[in-house]
Amino acid sequence: MTVTAKISSREHDNDLLVAVAAGNRQALEELYLSYHRRLARFLSRFTPRYENIEEIINDTFMVVWQSAKDFRYASQVSTWIIGIAYRTALKSLRRQKNHAAARSLDEYPEQTIDPTFETEVQDWLKHGLNRLPVEQRLTLELAYHMGHSLEEIAAITECPVGTVKARMFHAREKLRQYLPTLGGGTSELSARSE
Amino acid sequence: MTHGHLTPAAREHQEISALLPWYINGSIDEHDRQRLDAHLALCAGCREELAQEQRIYEGMTADTAVEYMPAASLKRLQARLDGVAAASPDPRSDVGTQELAAGQKPGGRPLAWPGLMAASVAVMAVALSLLAADRWIQFRAHAAVPDYYTVTTSIPRPQGEVIRAVFSPTITLVELQAVLDEAQLRIISGPTEAGVYSLAANSGRPVSASLASLRRDEKVRFAEITQSSSGPGDIQ
Repeated sequence: MTVTAKISSREHDNDLLVAVAAGNRQALEELYLSYHRRLARFLSRFTPRYENIEEIINDTFMVVWQSAKDFRYASQVSTWIIGIAYRTALKSLRRQKNHAAARSLDEYPEQTIDPTFETEVQDWLKHGLNRLPVEQRLTLELAYHMGHSLEEIAAITECPVGTVKARMFHAREKLRQYLPTLGGGTSELSARSE
Repeated sequence: MTHGHLTPAAREHQEISALLPWYINGSIDEHDRQRLDAHLALCAGCREELAQEQRIYEGMTADTAVEYMPAASLKRLQARLDGVAAASPDPRSDVGTQELAAGQKPGGRPLAWPGLMAASVAVMAVALSLLAADRWIQFRAHAAVPDYYTVTTSIPRPQGEVIRAVFSPTITLVELQAVLDEAQLRIISGPTEAGVYSLAANSGRPVSASLASLRRDEKVRFAEITQSSSGPGDIQ
């Protein structure tokens, strides 16, 4: 997305949220449709079950509907909405004791493929990501898939910038150890498959 | 991730490394971008790390095969909004959302969970009402019954109904499901305007045993076997 497109998108989000704050349901629906895909993708890192993803998205937009009038536009609308989704998802996970709804390694079959093929990098990545604590996994997701800045991630997760940096550092370290094609070293998986 | 006992050069590498994700995703500020450009031009090790990181980034930004369709989800959200609107004259005034919408209102009130719970029960009730209404329309169309009842005609019951029950208005969805599981029953329609649910048996258990199970639960306000459900072993 170009800088101009980003600014235009931000302004459009602001306009929509102003309308939502005034009770405009159509504006809420437009906002919902424009955020659904990225939120679903983001939340799929929390839980593989679509019904859980949908519930979290809808809970998020209930909060957006109820709180739009209190939004002060100190941050971007996208940062605010994704932050609500992040906290809603964490709450949902805590409710389902011990992250039972989160992806478990048992859901993924053991890798038997040749890791050197480019097409399989994503499979390895998926395995690696699922070995990370949820906060580290989501920090990576917020930065790499969603393109958020360090400061935005700090705002979304309500953490100091230093905490975000530390989470990212540990996530990358673990991924590098896990992904032989990316890290160049002998990984747990490659050792196991030999 | 500590700077303790590091040489200035090692510290510089560590700081550069920590900024790479935001250099890659393009959100880094101009000052840091120039700093990284200058460092990367001279440092093969950091360039290699950048290349590795770039592959992770590309792997994560690649489109997934799964595509989520928002239309059905949006419909459910609309039903929830309708439910909340029906339950409260100002739908956005009484539900505690400050915690989830954090950072937007200094000194916000504590989260009003009872309000949220009441709203969710109301939403559930509306959703079930819609389901019941839909089934009821289908039932009536199929049975071709007249649009009215006299005092001598019996009110049609949903097929399979064995018990009618009223639950506490504060019951949560999870609690409701637990009560039904315990009684081995399922909801087939309801609630009516009076909050009555029609329940069907989930197993061959005597209806009287299911009834007793319901009546033991404090969240059940009322439970009665319907006339048509009497059978062997059932206490009337």
